[in-house]
Amino acid sequence: MAATFFGEVVKAPCRAGTEEEEEEEEEGRRETPEDREVRRQLARKREVRLLRRQTKTSLEVSLLEKYPCSKFIIAIGNNAVAFLSSFVMNSGVWEEVGFAKLWNEWCRTTDTTHLSPAEAFCIFYHLKSNPSVILCQCSCYVAEDQQYQWLEKVFGSCTRKNTQVTILTCRHVTDYKTSESTGSLPAPFLKALKTQNFKDPACCSLLEQPNIVHDLPAAVLSYCQVWKIPAILYLCYTDVMKLDLITVEAFKPILSSRSLKSLVKNIPQSTEILKKLMTTNEVQSNIYT
Amino acid sequence: MASRYDRAITVFSPDGHLFQVEYAQEAVKKGSTAVGIRGTNIVVLGVEKKSVAKLQDERTVRKICALDDHVCMAFAVFTIFIGLTADARVVINRARVQCQSHKLTVEDPVTVEYITRFIATLKQKYTQSNGRRPFGISALIVGFDDDGIPRLYQTDPSGTYHAWKANAIGRSAKTVREFLEKNYTEDAIADDNEAIKLAIRALLEVVQSGGRNIELAIIKRNQPLKMFSAKEIELQVTEIEKEKEEAEKKKSKKSA
Repeated sequence: MAATFFGEVVKAPCRAGTEEEEEEEEEGRRETPEDREVRRQLARKREVRLLRRQTKTSLEVSLLEKYPCSKFIIAIGNNAVAFLSSFVMNSGVWEEVGFAKLWNEWCRTTDTTHLSPAEAFCIFYHLKSNPSVILCQCSCYVAEDQQYQWLEKVFGSCTRKNTQVTILTCRHVTDYKTSESTGSLPAPFLKALKTQNFKDPACCSLLEQPNIVHDLPAAVLSYCQVWKIPAILYLCYTDVMKLDLITVEAFKPILSSRSLKSLVKNIPQSTEILKKLMTTNEVQSNIYT
Repeated sequence: MASRYDRAITVFSPDGHLFQVEYAQEAVKKGSTAVGIRGTNIVVLGVEKKSVAKLQDERTVRKICALDDHVCMAFAVFTIFIGLTADARVVINRARVQCQSHKLTVEDPVTVEYITRFIATLKQKYTQSNGRRPFGISALIVGFDDDGIPRLYQTDPSGTYHAWKANAIGRSAKTVREFLEKNYTEDAIADDNEAIKLAIRALLEVVQSGGRNIELAIIKRNQPLKMFSAKEIELQVTEIEKEKEEAEKKKSKKSA
């Protein structure tokens, strides 16, 4: 423990560990049946399920086993989702192949069984004209304990060498560690991080150390690195985390990448669709003017 | 390292940052975008108007406020914890009182620079007091002085203030500022109408639904502040779009 200048007590990290307390902990740690029941219920609540929309039945195998693909594009976060909606999904007919249903403390609803699609969602589509292209629009937060389940249900546990994965996501620019001050950074800007097996050039500069990637994008990238799947993450650092035109447009350089080039047809129309998406009423918060 | 030195406002970090002040500047970016342009004979203030709740009285959600008869201020606000609109209200009140006090004491209205300095000093005081936090607001302050010269000043949460020819604050301010740097020319601002169009064009770069969500005010020399009605703004936007189309037609003719 350390006291700061103003007398507040701050817990200083201790490398000695808690050796003295171990004996006392042992006795308290014995699980009762109630503990086990609570743990079971919690696990059930936090289960990640991959379902078919029409039948609401679970997929028996992992998504990529059922729908093998050569291109897997994942958008995580509302700006990335808006980018794919306006630039990729409007060129071609996409069919929904499943959706992921999960609940965690980040969900606004306490009802774990009836999550409406208008709220956070995670939906998978494939292109009708070329079913080996799969898209994932994920705007819900996948908690740390659920990421492994999500990966299992989506990727399964066998290696897929002919799949190329592209992930798009956003992060606040204040998370970007640099010697410059955040005020001078050209936000929004794009950075890339790729696995060893990804041989194509990235559409922007690579993410420098000591910056790290967090949450689901990190989980997917780690998974791909372990299973030797070529994957690239495009991370947009922005100073406006909610749905914002300029942030979404910052993803545009990716349209020239190999995986997206063939999927994008009508860029002016896409910009129109994007503008329409933006005008879904965002009522002003009275706190900020 | 940041987490050790950002609890108290009065503590410098080892590399010389006052983190609370920098975080206050982040809070400004949560507000709408505002732009100010100083023309030769006119000053223009434009701000993005976001939609209000259905039952809310729109007249009470005004961003461009008068400080005195001839000094006008638009706030883009932000906050670290709560209350950026509230911070703005508090500072506006103090500035208004100061304007009147000055008039009564020295029998002259304040100059734009004087009131800007007053506001900036107030903001700076709050970055150096124990137990207080900085104001989470940046301000654009415009007006004409007695010598008839138009002025535009900008203040930020740290209490610095500078004069500008054109500037933007709030969300995506950088994008707007870059647009202004490219398009602000002495010719553009010599004509009043052109200065107004420049302000609207700058805002249209970042405002997501066109002219309906723009609030605009102008002051011309020896005239009171004029707020543009929605119709007048729409007219300007239509003219701008026409000019854009004609410019594009010319371009395609040239390339053909």
